Amino acid sequence: MALGFALIFGVTHTFNLAHGELLVLAGYVAYWLWKAYGVSLFFTFPAAILATLALCLVLQRLFSRLREPMEMNSIVLSFGLAILLQNGMLFFFSGDYRLIHVPLLNQRFRLLGISLSYGQFTLLTLSLLVLGLTYVLMRHTYLGKALRATIQDRESAALAGINVSGMGILAFAIGAVLIGLAGPLFGCIHYLYPTAGLQATLIAITITIFAGVGRIGSLILGGWILGFAESCAVVFLGASWRELVSALMLLTLMALRPYGILGTEEK
Amino acid sequence: MTKAPPTSEPLKNSAIAQVGLLLGLAILLVIPLLAGGHDYVLQVFTHGLLLATLALAWNILAISGSISLGHAAFFGVGAYTSGLLSLELGVSSWATIPTAGLAAMAVAVLVWLFCHRLRGAYFALATLAFVEIPRVLTDNWDGLTRGSLGLVGLPGLPALRLGSHHFDISASSIGSYYFVLVYGLLLLAVVTFIFRSNLGLALQAIREEETAAESLGIQVQRYRLLALLLSALFSGITGACYAHLIRYIEPGMVYGLHFSAIPVIFAICGGRFTIIGPALAALVLYPMDQFLLHPLLPAGHEFLYGAVIILAILFLPSGFWGQLWKGQRVSIKTGSIE
Amino acid sequence: MFCKRRWFVSCFLLFFLWCTTTPVVAESVKIGEINPLTGRLAKQGLEIHQGVAVAVAEVNDRGGLNGRQVELISRDDQSQPDVAISRAEELCGWRKVCGLTGGYVDSLVGPISEVAKKYEVVYVASASLQKELSQRENPYFFRVAKLQGFIQPICDLLSEKLRPQRLAILYAATPGSSEFAHDLENCLHSRGTPLHLIEKFRPGTPDFTPLIAKLASMQIDVIVSGGFSADHLLFVRQLKENRVSPMAYLGPFGIAYESFIREMGENGEYLYSTCAWNPGITQPGTEKLSEDFVERFRRMFQRQPNTTNMHGYTSTRVLLAAMRNVVRRNKPLTGPNIRQALAELDLLLPMERVAFDKHGDPLHYQHPEPLLPLSIPCPNGVNESSAHVDHCSRIRHHLGLILYPCGTGICPDIWGYPHL
Repeated sequence: MALGFALIFGVTHTFNLAHGELLVLAGYVAYWLWKAYGVSLFFTFPAAILATLALCLVLQRLFSRLREPMEMNSIVLSFGLAILLQNGMLFFFSGDYRLIHVPLLNQRFRLLGISLSYGQFTLLTLSLLVLGLTYVLMRHTYLGKALRATIQDRESAALAGINVSGMGILAFAIGAVLIGLAGPLFGCIHYLYPTAGLQATLIAITITIFAGVGRIGSLILGGWILGFAESCAVVFLGASWRELVSALMLLTLMALRPYGILGTEEK
Repeated sequence: MTKAPPTSEPLKNSAIAQVGLLLGLAILLVIPLLAGGHDYVLQVFTHGLLLATLALAWNILAISGSISLGHAAFFGVGAYTSGLLSLELGVSSWATIPTAGLAAMAVAVLVWLFCHRLRGAYFALATLAFVEIPRVLTDNWDGLTRGSLGLVGLPGLPALRLGSHHFDISASSIGSYYFVLVYGLLLLAVVTFIFRSNLGLALQAIREEETAAESLGIQVQRYRLLALLLSALFSGITGACYAHLIRYIEPGMVYGLHFSAIPVIFAICGGRFTIIGPALAALVLYPMDQFLLHPLLPAGHEFLYGAVIILAILFLPSGFWGQLWKGQRVSIKTGSIE
Repeated sequence: MFCKRRWFVSCFLLFFLWCTTTPVVAESVKIGEINPLTGRLAKQGLEIHQGVAVAVAEVNDRGGLNGRQVELISRDDQSQPDVAISRAEELCGWRKVCGLTGGYVDSLVGPISEVAKKYEVVYVASASLQKELSQRENPYFFRVAKLQGFIQPICDLLSEKLRPQRLAILYAATPGSSEFAHDLENCLHSRGTPLHLIEKFRPGTPDFTPLIAKLASMQIDVIVSGGFSADHLLFVRQLKENRVSPMAYLGPFGIAYESFIREMGENGEYLYSTCAWNPGITQPGTEKLSEDFVERFRRMFQRQPNTTNMHGYTSTRVLLAAMRNVVRRNKPLTGPNIRQALAELDLLLPMERVAFDKHGDPLHYQHPEPLLPLSIPCPNGVNESSAHVDHCSRIRHHLGLILYPCGTGICPDIWGYPHL
């Protein structure tokens, strides 16, 4: 999920505050199919992916119409979009909390001395698989190299003959696929409700800023460190300090790496 | 219709705009009369004016190019400071409201410590995260702030003593309305002064092209800090006024996303490069939402705000009011070159 | 291009035109309701609104108030206090309603009550809990719920029946929940029940695992959580995932709802909740009333009513009953008269026997003992110590087993849980 966000941001320099909402929407699509038509979980994935793909392409069209400064305008635009999506979901699905029941996922088993549920295991393996695939894509295919080049320096990439706007569309598409994969899983593990998107977006942003755009390994690391710090906060300080700790982490992070992700500032 | 010669067109436009603004001001001044004793109308406009002041305060920071998504931090600190001082210590609102502004300024210093090296979207995100700090502190420091219970039954706006007359502003809707109106006009004067002063020009230069500004000898960081402090000051005062108007506050409410988002929406829709744009947007959108949309589309409010901001950013990035001044060689209002 | 000024002016004209053309219906009695229909409290606000609508429909079907129909004007406060104030001003000052009802959470009910006081319009709030609100010297403010009604039965259950060795109270960072936790703490302290942990969390927390780990390490056996439906759903499920089985989990807010139970599925083996009312659990003597309410609700909204709906219904019935009393005595429907009638009211309704004290608090609001479903916590595994099993059978014996009524169409089996 954070990878999708990072990719989109890195290539197109657009911040998508509606990232979380798209995730929840994908989850809702899967839930709807599962509930209304009895589609098994496995087949809801393609549907969710298609739905997010369509939406993301629309989004990309919208973003491309924005003028400089791209980052800030995109924040505002996606912010408005997030509001719209939230209300749309509230309207169509009501505020009730929904979960995709897959009994298998809740059973537990022991692995290397740690007790895990099938759900957590699936999530873990699927994430690693997807991340691994993306890594391979980025490192070893031409397309991947082109994407990385665009992330590093858009102008030089254009000079080198890479179709920058095409890369943008591609980044959105890949991001959409990632969201589409994460959505139904999200619906299984976490509850679906219209305002769930905000949490998800903040997590994605935090991890992205921590990790840097192009490095997948550090994304995973970032995610784990963040989670670990939050848990420690809860255990030692108390549950009411959790948000403060994550905010402080993010702020300290940003204070220490002010040019954020793109390495050196474009001076 | 023949096109008027280019030189006279801007002047004509600006003249019409000036008249329009004056008319608007006149209407605002006499709304209590127009409302015919319906406090309902007064209430809506009082709140609209309050939101307008928040948007104006936010815009002070936006002049320098920094978009803040966490102004609720200043708003909330202002609300709580004023509320606590007047509730616990019984200090009059005349004193607590400015103190609240100063408290918000102190918080702004903290923001600066974290964010002074950040620009653009990173700055926005940092402010978004920063709101948690005062919020969690207020929530948990039960001894000082009553924690999550919130403050119930705050005293109202300050009372006015003119000679032997004692006028309790909070007791009457008209009094509250004029209080907020006067504050709004004062703030507008301050913002106009800022815009046209050297500070304003420097800030706009920083917004346009920071490296160039620096090379001109403008001390970028100092001016940005100043903008942040001023913005926080007035946001805090607005928060205090809010607390005394509503008289019931809780952390989740005053530090919530609502008050961070509202000034952004109004400023972007109204025109964040202009002086009066944000206030105009607030005074048009909010009453429209309350009067017109409410009975027609009860569930449609948030939709409206979301849609409006998307339309604005796509088609009118300088906002409605800003659009009117586009294509002018020299804008009289902003004093900058569009 | 220059529509700014014209737009401004035409907006105004539109508004005034619209004001003057609003028709005035002569014979009907107008009451108003203000609920959060949008915003973060939308779900509960809507449920209160539905309860109110049912009450008004019921009274109108029976001929209204002495022949005069009741007209309900509904408004949305968007979960924001400033909007709540504007709506209250509109209803009281402009539409001139005879009474106000509805309302959810004190930060909204408080400002509304101030406006009602200004206009001398009675306000019977459906859902307001905090003590401070009724201490505010407002003769026109009444409410049909109060915090003590939750605290008392839970306190009794904990200190007399469950008798936990290590108790934890968790609560959400909202005013109502915080006050609940502190009052419960005081009550338990006065009964001498030890409390090992009291902690606050942000409602809507996405992951309770660290908190659960903390509870497990402290070997907490009874958890009281002042969170809301979402928090309970997640918490209980994660308890199960992490193989942490307390003896009991109590949740006063947000459990006793059909949708919750449906979502819980088989996870809720040891859940307790309180509720003021549910289909099938009603004040003795009000069974017919309760059934009528359920039936009418199902007809109007095609689903089973829950306790929030009942709060809206109760407050409206109370308001209308007081008005009816005033009309019967041939007095005009003014604020002071209705207020007087409310102060003297003693009415038996499915949720409670309604009568008010001098602060406007309900005298008899109490969640019934024993608590609502959902089943008794007992470990199935054979590894558990026999002392624990003994304790369980003792509880079973004392409390009896209350099953969720089959009227909802979900029939629980004895030891397990309702399945969809």
